[in-house]
Amino acid sequence: MSTKGTHIPDWLAVPFAGITPAPSQEKGQDLFPTGNWRSTRPVYRDKMPPCNNACGTNEKIQGYLDLVKRGRYLDAYALIKEDMPFPSVTGRVCYHPCEQACNRGQYDEAISIRAVERFLGDFGQALPKDVVKAGPPNGRKVAVVGSGPAGHSAAYQLARLGYAVTILEKSPKAGGLNRGGIPDWVLPQRVLDREIERLLELGITIRTNTEVGKDVSWDDLKKNYDACVLAVGLTEPNSVRAEGENKDGVIYGLPFLRDIGMGTSNVKLGRNVTVIGGGNTAIDCAREALRQGAEDVTMITVERNPKEMPCVPEDLHDMMEEGVVLMHARAMTAVLGNGRVEALQLYPARFSGAVNASPILIDREAPAERFPTDNVIIAVGQHASLAWLPAEFKNERGTIRIDRFGRLGDTMFFAAGDIAQVASGQPLMVVNAVGDGKRVAFSLDRVLRKEPLQERMVPIDVITDLARMNMTYFPHFPRLKQETLLPTFRRHTQEEVIQGFSGNQAFEEANRCFSCGTCNACDNCYLVCPEPCIVRSVRSNGLYRILTDYCKGCRVCIEECPTGCLESVPEMDFDTGVVRMDTAFAITPGLHGRQAEELKNLADRPAKDIENWK
Amino acid sequence: MPAIKVERQMLPMFASPNQGARFYNPELPQTEPFVPGHRTCAGCGPSIQYRMTSKAAGDNTILVGPTGCMYVANSSYLCTPYNVPWAHTQIGSAGSFTAGVAAAYEAMIRKGKWKGPFPNIICEAGDGSASDIGLASISGALYRNHDCLIICYDNEQYANTGIQASSRTPYGGMTTFSPPGKMVPEAKSLYPKDLARMMAAGHPHCYVATASVGYPIDLMNKVRKGLNHKGAAYIMIYTPCQKGFVYETPRSIDLGRLVVECGLYPMWEWDPEKRKFDYSFRPQNMRPVSEYLKLQGRFGHLHAEHVATMQKFANMQWKMMGVELPDALVRAADVKNVRDMGAAQAAEAVALTV
Ligand SMILES: Cc1cc2nc3c(=O)[nH]c(=O)nc-3n(C[C@H](O)[C@H](O)[C@H](O)COP(=O)(O)OP(=O)(O)OC[C@H]3O[C@@H](n4cnc5c(N)ncnc54)[C@H](O)[C@@H]3O)c2cc1C
Ligand SMILES: Cc1ncc(C[n+]2csc(CCOP(=O)(O)OP(=O)(O)O)c2C)c(N)n1
Ligand code: SF4
Ligand code: SF4
Ligand code: SF4
Ligand code: SF4
Ligand SMILES: [Mg+2]
Repeated sequence: MSTKGTHIPDWLAVPFAGITPAPSQEKGQDLFPTGNWRSTRPVYRDKMPPCNNACGTNEKIQGYLDLVKRGRYLDAYALIKEDMPFPSVTGRVCYHPCEQACNRGQYDEAISIRAVERFLGDFGQALPKDVVKAGPPNGRKVAVVGSGPAGHSAAYQLARLGYAVTILEKSPKAGGLNRGGIPDWVLPQRVLDREIERLLELGITIRTNTEVGKDVSWDDLKKNYDACVLAVGLTEPNSVRAEGENKDGVIYGLPFLRDIGMGTSNVKLGRNVTVIGGGNTAIDCAREALRQGAEDVTMITVERNPKEMPCVPEDLHDMMEEGVVLMHARAMTAVLGNGRVEALQLYPARFSGAVNASPILIDREAPAERFPTDNVIIAVGQHASLAWLPAEFKNERGTIRIDRFGRLGDTMFFAAGDIAQVASGQPLMVVNAVGDGKRVAFSLDRVLRKEPLQERMVPIDVITDLARMNMTYFPHFPRLKQETLLPTFRRHTQEEVIQGFSGNQAFEEANRCFSCGTCNACDNCYLVCPEPCIVRSVRSNGLYRILTDYCKGCRVCIEECPTGCLESVPEMDFDTGVVRMDTAFAITPGLHGRQAEELKNLADRPAKDIENWK
Repeated sequence: MPAIKVERQMLPMFASPNQGARFYNPELPQTEPFVPGHRTCAGCGPSIQYRMTSKAAGDNTILVGPTGCMYVANSSYLCTPYNVPWAHTQIGSAGSFTAGVAAAYEAMIRKGKWKGPFPNIICEAGDGSASDIGLASISGALYRNHDCLIICYDNEQYANTGIQASSRTPYGGMTTFSPPGKMVPEAKSLYPKDLARMMAAGHPHCYVATASVGYPIDLMNKVRKGLNHKGAAYIMIYTPCQKGFVYETPRSIDLGRLVVECGLYPMWEWDPEKRKFDYSFRPQNMRPVSEYLKLQGRFGHLHAEHVATMQKFANMQWKMMGVELPDALVRAADVKNVRDMGAAQAAEAVALTV
């Protein structure tokens, strides 16, 4: 009988009540450590959410969505900034591999991660002062060649590590393809400008109109800097090797977009415009052509149908809405006309699938088709321009020869971004360039500090599978759509097509996140344990502890954890001998998640930054 | 005699854990009147219920425990997991003992011997105690409207003495007193006593409700409503017993949800003011009873026709709650449609060869 709150007469106090200690909240019933009944032990282990894993720069997506759920926007912004210098940019342009990997996509619809990222990016842009600071100067100088996403990311991380960074950019304005590729109606220039300002605030020097190979030589780089990151991208458009490609009215997609982006364009398009190509650049060209005054735009692809086109389906959909017409399974073989394009010669064509031979099979037996047009824009990929690179560092594919850390031999030169990734067959996109820039910055830092280079950390974490989570706790909820401008209106303006989320919308959408494999302090395990032997001193992600003295191993907590971050570990191993008594009484709190640790540390950091604004 | 003012504890309700698309339990009290180290089986449903109930009630609570697992398994060697005053009472006297405690506090307050708020007086009776052996005494306590909360933790059998049938044991449930055999292949042919509705009908001035460990916050809120109600309250709570039901221990909470989703445990509240049942509780899904039955060894002997009979029973419960039946459930009540299970004869033939 519990003696608490009960008056026990002296003659009853001994011996009965005296021999059994009263139970307490702190120690339970000391006499009965029921943990020795257990054959299996629940253990907390946070796992890798699939979104984090799929992101090219491994943003801690689950982490910032969790913070957004709690209304902690500033902390969420600080967390995203660890891996991503410009969430306002990727929040608009990213092809979002994270959303393709999102577990919720298998359940109803993927989380609109990019839209939340954009919300946080815009939130960060509005801050008078960024949350990120340059590291204490370490006295070393690094040059970054190219100011595209890869160069931007490398410079950003190096400045945070304390390097004096100079960016050398051949164009009149910084930004790389973010400015001279991705159109204004996807990424307004003012957004990019603000992110470049943030780089300057970190103490980075940007020298525009400075081309390596012309204004600065390879030897200058070697002499003047301790190390150098080459993030020069792929700046030259590919041709389709058609007859008459040099006629007036033939335009290449990359310079077409670049000149518009840099403000140096004097292009005049006719009424009818044809775009050759079926990728994302071709789509941007077709939609930009409408905005440059074309009335009818046709896109010609070798692919047999829209599904085969190597592009983002949403963008294709938006393009169709704007009235661009698709023609499939054709190749352009000649540009017809007298000095100026009047029509295109088309033949039926398909991809051969061959690796070494020409990948496109053109059926020249079939009758040729004459397709009248005023302009043709060719957008079939791009390649590097590396005349300035010493021959020893060139490879057979026309790019830079690097090792797996992005290093050129044993020099202090590194390469990152499209120029490095094109050879590896990685899809070329902004976030991959950012991730590469980040990793190369860390490799460079290790080399300069004479530390051994490490293989990119293999994720020892298990990537959380939907089957390990408890879906009972997640009723179906539709994904929140972003507003878009009306097609009839937007096709004539440079205004941003896709609108951002409000704070409320970002919060609502973040609420849909399952927190795959990562404790989000929902308190469910704590509430359902029959003993109860799950304790927490504060309610916070990953700070739950199991009193193994008492846990009977029923596994209710494991079954009922919505996020799947509890696992069962056998106490006994009948093959190698019973180990039960060794562990039953050992008080180990279980392993807590890496991510939870990070979030714990984050708690007080941005608060200081809030003070600094005043 | 001067009017005495009785200070009462008014416990606030918990917010729902389903906030939009997000699942996040509300802030729970720090206090832990039920501590670890007790000797119930791993995954014990009644223990889960006990913990939730006592956490909702808080520290100013007195617990009464008639004989059953929550007494015997919990309090051997003069040591209990109860961190608040607790007393055992004989299995048949759950109601009278609890009434006595409540009356004693009323008297002590009247005489000025107890200062402070009226304590939460909670009786935790098993279904054996509440539906059979102690039924009369509990009815008496409810009838006289003592200020207490009587909980029947319903594990649908006499668990502590080794699994015997009680009047709450469902149709088809195997126990040591209702084994399946040639004569009674369904093991138990009687339907469970509709205990909670009986209590509501017979004592309409009381707050009466049903709850399940599958819905912890709902359960804790009903406990608080029962405690806040001035007068007697009665809650019957579904609490699976892995020993008697024969299931994998991790399923304890899951069964608590399934039993409601299958229509076998209607969730409702009786409003003593309006004298009306409130059937507004809706589970996330409606499922055929087989989803619930197949997880438990105590139903392993059932033939298709018994499963169909159970479905008919469940369908009647849905109708009672005013829920429109989906076609699938109507079809599932027809023995021809109960798949994955042979005909009664085929099943018997198999059983005989073993
Ligand atoms: C039209 C188009 C649209 C795209 N849209 C998207 C999109 O919506 N989303 C997405 O994720 N990806 C998109 N991409 C892909 C993405 O832009 C690239 O993968 C990414 O920009 C690569 O970054 P980077 O830093 O490696 O190269 P770049 O962005 O190409 O930057 C290289 C920079 O180096 C400079 N440079 C080159 N040589 C020298 C030199 N010798 N000296 C000094 N400076 C030099 C260049 O001027 C340029 O500024 C698009 C690509 C194109 C072509
Ligand atoms: C008058 C009397 N009859 C029989 C018993 C034996 N007995 C002890 S516990 C128990 C089972 C009680 O069943 P229930 O109330 O449902 O509680 P559970 O064990 O299922 O938790 C019985 C029958 C007893 N203690 N007293
Ligand atoms: S549900 Fe959330 S944590 Fe899981 S993959 Fe999607 S965004 Fe990531
Ligand atoms: S619910 Fe409690 S007793 Fe059961 S395994 Fe988890 S910690 Fe152990
Ligand atoms: S149940 Fe909730 S609190 Fe417990 S480990 Fe899982 S996510 Fe964390
Ligand atoms: S027999 Fe059932 S009710 Fe009794 S302690 Fe075990 S699981 Fe709990
Ligand atoms: Mg019982």
